[in-house]
Amino acid sequence: MAILIDRGTRALVQGITGKVGSFQTKLMIEYGTNVVAGVTPGKGGQKVDGVPVYDSVHQAVKETSPEVSICFVPGPYAADAAMEAVDAGLRLVVVVAEAVPLSDTVKMLALASERGSFVLGPDTAGLISPGRSKLGVQPHRLFTEGNTGIVSRSGALSYETAKTLTESRIGQSTVIGLGGGPVWGFTYRDALELFRDDQATDAVVLLGEIGGHMEEEVADYMAKGYPKPVVALVVGRTAPAGQKMGHAGAIVQQGRGAAQDKIAALRNAGAVAVSAPREIPDVIKRELHRRHHC
Amino acid sequence: MEAAKKLAGPVVLKAQVLVGGRGLAGGIKFGEDSEEVGKLASQVLDTPVKDERPSALLVEQRLEVTRELYAGVTYDYRQKRPVVLASSRGGVDIETVARENPADMAETRIDPFKGFNCYQARELAAEIQLTGNELVQYSNILSALWNVFRKHDAELVEANPLAVLPEGKLVALDAKMSLDDKSVARQSSMLNRIGRIPPSQTEGLEARRARAKELGIPTYIEMQGNMGIVADGAGSGMLTLDLVTDYGGKTRVYCEMGGETTAELMENTLLAALAVKDLRVVLINLIGGLNLMDEMAKGITSYLRKHPTKVPIIVRMSGTNQDEGRRILTAGGIRWFDSLDEAVEKAVGVSRGH
Repeated sequence: MAILIDRGTRALVQGITGKVGSFQTKLMIEYGTNVVAGVTPGKGGQKVDGVPVYDSVHQAVKETSPEVSICFVPGPYAADAAMEAVDAGLRLVVVVAEAVPLSDTVKMLALASERGSFVLGPDTAGLISPGRSKLGVQPHRLFTEGNTGIVSRSGALSYETAKTLTESRIGQSTVIGLGGGPVWGFTYRDALELFRDDQATDAVVLLGEIGGHMEEEVADYMAKGYPKPVVALVVGRTAPAGQKMGHAGAIVQQGRGAAQDKIAALRNAGAVAVSAPREIPDVIKRELHRRHHC
Repeated sequence: MEAAKKLAGPVVLKAQVLVGGRGLAGGIKFGEDSEEVGKLASQVLDTPVKDERPSALLVEQRLEVTRELYAGVTYDYRQKRPVVLASSRGGVDIETVARENPADMAETRIDPFKGFNCYQARELAAEIQLTGNELVQYSNILSALWNVFRKHDAELVEANPLAVLPEGKLVALDAKMSLDDKSVARQSSMLNRIGRIPPSQTEGLEARRARAKELGIPTYIEMQGNMGIVADGAGSGMLTLDLVTDYGGKTRVYCEMGGETTAELMENTLLAALAVKDLRVVLINLIGGLNLMDEMAKGITSYLRKHPTKVPIIVRMSGTNQDEGRRILTAGGIRWFDSLDEAVEKAVGVSRGH
């Protein structure tokens, strides 16, 4: 098992005929993702890499029964496309587009929570269950199958960490990018809840960054007791206050959202805090060894 | 001064800048007559507010005010919803009221599908103890702010202070609006109509920031140091900055290009970063998913072909199409690393003269 996607999970690609969509679809199929259909309005009947294209998600659902979707539709139209997938009953929609207007994002998230679907993103790299399936844009050769879950706001930081773990022979169960913010559908807390019950996951790496409140929220959740070791890295320790650090959600404002506060909250909740990816493999080995022997 | 003469009587001069905290920085002055206004005007125009020099001056009639209210619309990021905020305390920022006098404010979170209705505006007005004509005027203003917020994809629209005049009329003495950066594409007609306040003609930081923006670089930040950092992701960029500091380096300029980058943006980012004088080294950290490493390598080599530089460029490259990217770098005589730690250590060493 892994979380959210596994071998054989039936995937839909929205915006499959675009430059990025078609290229990333090819990479996902090469990796072994079971892409059953694509959607681009007006291009129904075409094929991309052998995948049938439909005009609407409802048509694609009727013909091919996808369970999850990855959406490469550009920012101004992305939320509408994601709502179409939620409305058609898909349980997970990955929204890759970076520039999704906030007013659209809150609508999309309100509908998803009403319907009980997960939206990952926006502005996310997606997710990968190494060796099983990939619903994202990760450079997958840096990843290997194994027992450590990773959840990160930043895609690139999750690649960096997976690369470091892979080089230390620690594989990953599922690696999730939450997106740049400042609002998120799927959260750290959602990830930790799923990792808790996942038999393939023995330890979790939580990659945080400055700004927002999600790290503090998951710390509140963990403080009630979390059964698996959690290693936490929060980046932006040395970023100047008041500056947006590339993600809309990564900014320390009026003293709130600072890295030190997040690190302290996570540490108090039982996480082992580290200051660089290179420290993570030894901590995981030590924590798993310790738990194994007591 | 012409404006002050037309208004006759006491006036207020307000520096037009794109940052908050204007009053405290000396960007607002009160004048009695046109002679005084002339003096004050040049004073205000010469006073930068948080590094930003005012590009224009707003001269308004000075009003007699009986009390000040607040009205605003923004997002509650935690609840993932818009929120309409009302307060009987104006002239201070709303976070302060929320902290110190929560009883004097009221708020309603908005269902994005149902929107904000007039009756909800009236309820908020009543909650902050307004009655009669003030209640009607105030709730109309809240509804109008909501309409502006929706129509223009704002992140914040606020009237603060919203003054009550002796005759009972409500007037916004100041208003602030922040637009959602992610909506720029569909708000272009409005942005073109109002135009951007032209950046003042000063040299230095302001000019370099404006240039970076023109070149399309999402994040451009200057600090006190001697190293340049370029990264292709927000999280990996912040990690690079942290590691550089941990290894004893000091960053002078930080550029982050976003996770979906072209060769052209890579080239432009180097153009912006290397416009900063006296850099000892530039460290480029690339770990791409959407971002294609061969494209990045083309951007770097193209820049160096056009602008040979003595500043050492150190590249860390991993991710999608990395083999081709690394081949292009090697062919261009550019040293690349696979390990981020090694690249950072090397770059910091160079910056310290090793």
